Amino acid sequence: MKSLLHVVLALVLLAVPSVAVHRWVHAAGVRLAANTAERAQASAPHVAVAEAADEGYCSADLKRVLRRVLQSCGLAGAGAGRGCQPVQARNVATMSGDDFNALFLPLSGRAGIIEFDRDSEQLDDADRALVSRIFADQRGASYFFVVARASPEGAVDHNRELSRRRAEAVLSYLRTTFTDPDLDREVGLLWLGAEFAQLDPQFCNWQRSAPNGHCGTQEINRSAFIAWIDCRL
Amino acid sequence: MSRPSPLLVVVAIAAALGLFFAGFSTYDAVQHLDRDVHGLHCSFVPGLSGTDTDTASGCHVMLMSPYSSVLRQQVWGGIPIALPAMSVFAFLLYWTLQLWVRGRGLDRRATGFLLAATLLPVGASAVMGTIAVTVLHAACKLCIGIYIASALAFIGALGTWLRARRNEPSSSSEVSVVSLLLSFVLGVAFVAAPVGVYLASMPDFSRFVGQCGTLEHAEDPYGVRIPMGGGGSVSAIEVLDPLCPACRAFEQRLEVSGLGARLHRDVVLFPLDDTCNWMVSQAVHPGACAVSEAVLCAGADAPAVIAWALEEQEHIRTEAARDRGAAQRIVSARFPRLASCIGSAGVRARLNRSLRWAVSNHLPVLTPQLYVNGTKLCDEDTDLGMDYALSRLLSRTPGGAP
Repeated sequence: MKSLLHVVLALVLLAVPSVAVHRWVHAAGVRLAANTAERAQASAPHVAVAEAADEGYCSADLKRVLRRVLQSCGLAGAGAGRGCQPVQARNVATMSGDDFNALFLPLSGRAGIIEFDRDSEQLDDADRALVSRIFADQRGASYFFVVARASPEGAVDHNRELSRRRAEAVLSYLRTTFTDPDLDREVGLLWLGAEFAQLDPQFCNWQRSAPNGHCGTQEINRSAFIAWIDCRL
Repeated sequence: MSRPSPLLVVVAIAAALGLFFAGFSTYDAVQHLDRDVHGLHCSFVPGLSGTDTDTASGCHVMLMSPYSSVLRQQVWGGIPIALPAMSVFAFLLYWTLQLWVRGRGLDRRATGFLLAATLLPVGASAVMGTIAVTVLHAACKLCIGIYIASALAFIGALGTWLRARRNEPSSSSEVSVVSLLLSFVLGVAFVAAPVGVYLASMPDFSRFVGQCGTLEHAEDPYGVRIPMGGGGSVSAIEVLDPLCPACRAFEQRLEVSGLGARLHRDVVLFPLDDTCNWMVSQAVHPGACAVSEAVLCAGADAPAVIAWALEEQEHIRTEAARDRGAAQRIVSARFPRLASCIGSAGVRARLNRSLRWAVSNHLPVLTPQLYVNGTKLCDEDTDLGMDYALSRLLSRTPGGAP
């Protein structure tokens, strides 16, 4: 009787870990097969994938403008003619100047307005500091817009050329200051002269390179509006 | 049957407790064979309380450490040491019960054998407890349960044996040496049987190795890859957050396994901290951006900064969670040479490029990640299955065989 009890004890206590382990491993194998099959069928990855930012303000209209600027103004790909002129910009935007400016209103926290002296495209220290600060704060943004303007006094052609030089001055500064291999894919230039989408004085409240200077319709348009755009196309 | 001595009862209860705790510990380890994430029974009353999903808990740190299992390069996840522990406690319970059933509670040889058998769990507990305290700095409640059960079993067995020694020896009533040898063989069978069942029931994990994608753009136009050195010949890129607990455990596993020495490793920083990383909605590892900037500022000393950050990560994370500026202050105090660089526009832009490198490669938003010659070590293989999967990945890579 004692011998039988002895054998039963041995068999039971030998079986307990073995049976338990077999059941646990088998169950894990079944789950593994199910998980593998499920992941193979899933269309989306089961963890988030690294992507550029796509903020809530990226409306369909803003993305449309962004896409057209990239495609039509020589920014996507190696275009010789870099940037959009006023006539092109108007066509690209296919909207009124006020509606065009309204697209950028949600960018108030990300944008800056570089203010130039009258009839000048020279960046002073304050201009360069603001450009550097805003450009360094890229975060997840994919595109950097430089939208240069001129105030209404002066001839149309002169203003057009002046705003082009202002946009180019910002780009030139970025090239020499930031060795970013993606610069040509990121920075989009528009120069609008005084013909399209003039800024109204409400933009005087935005971050400006000459915050203490007088700001009226003329001053705010002797400028280059710069901003990272946190939109994904 | 006579009533068992109280000391034998202590051994039996201790063995049953050890079986109970080791069983839960084995169960927790086996759960992970489905390559998924699971909570652990990190409690002194496992089964009554829920499971713990905190990856910083002592049980998690212990389980994911290189010391929780053996033969990791041969078996995915290795053979959990809790599994033979379970068997040893089952054998102790068996031997104690049979001493009682056969009335050998005063048999010097039989009780001596019991005492010898308890030395195994006591010795293993001493080693594992020392590792937990001195290397892992982790207190695992299930493990403590096993340590206590081992100690109780030893004390009970010692008392039983001392009591038996006081008895007049009677060679005719003592268990024979042959019987003891057979019992030793039975003890080995107690361990071998569940281990054999474990190995025989394991799914095939080799089919997953190398099947988790490749880097689309391993090149480094932004200059964000940080050379970590290493004498190996196989190029590898590790995507790392210096304040991520899983990254620290991964580093430990790489070092202990010896596989890290076969890699020539670069690190790409991917801090999971919303201060600089727009891909996370909150700071998973507060302070990781400032520490990553310090790593980038350090130049050739970057590996030293990473090693320090991995070591000090709990303190930095805790302080940075209270005060966002704390991480910068802590790292600047430790490395004053880097103070003027941390937070500068230049290093912030460089860290941003590191994150954009991740975007250009469509990497998952998690750390750590390891790419061996461009081929990804599956995320599911970065903890328990690392040794198994990485050794196979290396053996398939030119120059990667040992």
